[in-house]
Amino acid sequence: MSGSLTASDLSVRYETPHGSVHALRHVDIEAHPGEVIGIVGESGCGKSTLVTALANLLPANARIDGSISYNGVDLAKLDAHHQRLLRGDEIALVSQDPMTAFNPVLTIGDQLVDFQHHRKDLGRAQKRARIAAMLGRVGIADAERRMDCYPHELSGGMRQRVAIAAALLTDSGLLIADEPTTALDVTMEAQIIHLLRELRREYNGIIIVVSHHLGVIAELCDRVYVMYAGEVVEGGEVDAIFHDARHPYTQALLACDPARFHERLDRLPTIPGSLPNLTQPPSGCVYAPRCDRAFAPCGSVAPPQVKLSASHMARCHAVAP
Amino acid sequence: MSPLLAIDDLSVTFARSGLLSRLINPFPLPSFNVIDGVTLSLMPGETLGLVGESGSGKTTLARTILGLVRAAAGRIVFEGREVQTPADFRAMRRRSAMMFQDPVASLSPRLRIGTLLTEPQIIQGLPMPDRRAAAKALLALVGLPASFVDRFPHELSGGQARRVGVARALAMKPHLLLADEPTAGLDVSVQGDVLNLIGELKRELGFAAMIVTHNLAMIRHVSDRLAIMYLGRLVETGPTQDVFSAPMHPYTATLIQSEPIPDPRRRSQNPAVTGEIPSVFRRPSGCEFHTRCPIARDRCKTEAPAYRPMGADRMVRCHFPLETGGQEREAFSRASANQRGN
Ligand SMILES: Nc1ncnc2c1ncn2[C@@H]1O[C@H](COP(=O)(O)OP(=O)(O)OP(=O)(O)O)[C@@H](O)[C@H]1O
Ligand SMILES: Nc1ncnc2c1ncn2[C@@H]1O[C@H](COP(=O)(O)OP(=O)(O)O)[C@@H](O)[C@H]1O
Ligand code: SF4
Ligand code: SF4
Ligand SMILES: [Mg+2]
Ligand SMILES: [Mg+2]
Repeated sequence: MSGSLTASDLSVRYETPHGSVHALRHVDIEAHPGEVIGIVGESGCGKSTLVTALANLLPANARIDGSISYNGVDLAKLDAHHQRLLRGDEIALVSQDPMTAFNPVLTIGDQLVDFQHHRKDLGRAQKRARIAAMLGRVGIADAERRMDCYPHELSGGMRQRVAIAAALLTDSGLLIADEPTTALDVTMEAQIIHLLRELRREYNGIIIVVSHHLGVIAELCDRVYVMYAGEVVEGGEVDAIFHDARHPYTQALLACDPARFHERLDRLPTIPGSLPNLTQPPSGCVYAPRCDRAFAPCGSVAPPQVKLSASHMARCHAVAP
Repeated sequence: MSPLLAIDDLSVTFARSGLLSRLINPFPLPSFNVIDGVTLSLMPGETLGLVGESGSGKTTLARTILGLVRAAAGRIVFEGREVQTPADFRAMRRRSAMMFQDPVASLSPRLRIGTLLTEPQIIQGLPMPDRRAAAKALLALVGLPASFVDRFPHELSGGQARRVGVARALAMKPHLLLADEPTAGLDVSVQGDVLNLIGELKRELGFAAMIVTHNLAMIRHVSDRLAIMYLGRLVETGPTQDVFSAPMHPYTATLIQSEPIPDPRRRSQNPAVTGEIPSVFRRPSGCEFHTRCPIARDRCKTEAPAYRPMGADRMVRCHFPLETGGQEREAFSRASANQRGN
């Protein structure tokens, strides 16, 4: 089954002894079957919080507002039992660290059999056959032998492939990959990007890729949401984001990437300042303390979402449609 | 001008120990060259980038240079004198500094920043009448507020912890700075900040630096020369601009091609190299890159290529280096089939 995913006015707070951390504020996103969606932004800006909310896996101290609907079903209205079913069957999360996704004392094969618990129609041998086929598909040679390996016996790149295979075995319609290549070398990263790109040709669901690496987003995604301090500040087609960015933060982020410059730079560009304290988010624009274009309303009035085209949005007082 | 640091034919051997690793790989070989015959030099004030995939031996090489790991063979010459005895290494460490890979983990969590910053000088027995003032001066040097003297490491952001790492490394006014992945885990917006800081302080204080990294996009802007490492051996060295504009070793060329470009109009078609990095415990025969090299030929499987000069200031370890206009370069572009759209 695959359907569209929508989050509307989604906010998440984490309750802590030092107050509430407003990690996500008024986020609207949508994703449709067959699309690869990129979520990009600096560390701490709420990317993982967003995808964990979408996957319904937020920790107990999280409070959520707004709505998430998948395939027309409002997730908040489901009872806990149905939410769990949905999580197992419909949404697969490949997490930031592929090592933590696996139990160290069970073989890869045994764990991948468990990932198919929803397939009551299949016996163990049939499940193992599906695993072997899936491991082959993610580029693991010698799949039969690899199934008898323990997680630590695989390299980082292989574990990441196995994690992707595991996600695909659940037959879910929504595959979320949180920083799928951050822990990998550039050669492995290129291979994983290629693998995800191959998969999308046959995979009919939604793929959401979270990364702080702009190159990875540019290589993989159809549409991109740029996050800053818990808000989506700009969203649009990948080409619009990389070639016609309108939000000052998106522009600054792109300008900082040393991969864009081939001639040696004497000074690398940076974004001075740091993320605001999310226990007390600024009342105006979240980016105002670091923005070089800030003007009168920015410090006190939250900017509206400005629609620049059917698919391009920026949240800023200085952009005009 | 004579080099600040020259290492000649340096090798490091580790015995494989631990039941687990023997179970995984039960070959009865006693020891392995993790670093094998590395020859390198660093001129005063120069910045060298040491690049390679994870496990290629970059950290081990840096630690060996400082005497924190024992070399099995080879020579290290620092400021014109051979470094041999533990006393020699101690003397060398007084004139050099290391920034470790994980800055927060390498800062003792129970000590305040002020103490951490002045600890090295105290250990070296240098006179310091006012520790707090000295710590504040160091914080100012790296652009942090003086109030940080009373903070603990976990109260800093990733970028701030790196700045403290830089301050700590430079407290001793070193002639040589070894920085291991100085920006790993940092966002691009903060990465530039840390590197600009190192660059400014270099110009001001005049030390030489060796930056260990696998981040090619970053190192091309901050290094004068590059050394590319594969399985503990250097496969190519040369001026940074030349290596990037015309890599001669197929491994260097695949690394450069693998780097994702932040432009959706220039997507790569295929990965430049497939397959995993082999283990140093089971080095491939002949040229060690032949299992992944897009232009490997029969000779590569049996005969190890020599590390030989290719023009001035350039060394390459390959039977068929990619010379400009040569047929190897053409064969490489065809075989790696990684044309990007425009
Ligand atoms: N369980 C939690 N309790 C309290 N605060 C949290 C919790 N998880 C995240 N936060 C805070 O929420 C904000 C967003 O965190 P999140 O991990 O979602 O960011 P991110 O963009 O994924 O960052 P990174 O790239 O570092 O993983 C941060 O300020 C973080 O400190
Ligand atoms: N103390 C040690 N004992 C045994 N093997 C080691 C030790 N330290 C490093 N190695 C091995 O040496 C190789 C190079 O390691 P390292 O220098 O950490 O590489 P890098 O920094 O490039 O990741 C790896 O195969 C690693 O497993
Ligand atoms: S709203 Fe104002 S402060 Fe915010 S990004 Fe736009 S110009 Fe800058
Ligand atoms: S010697 Fe052969 S296998 Fe090794 S890098 Fe050169 S061409 Fe490739
Ligand atoms: Mg995260
Ligand atoms: Mg290392």
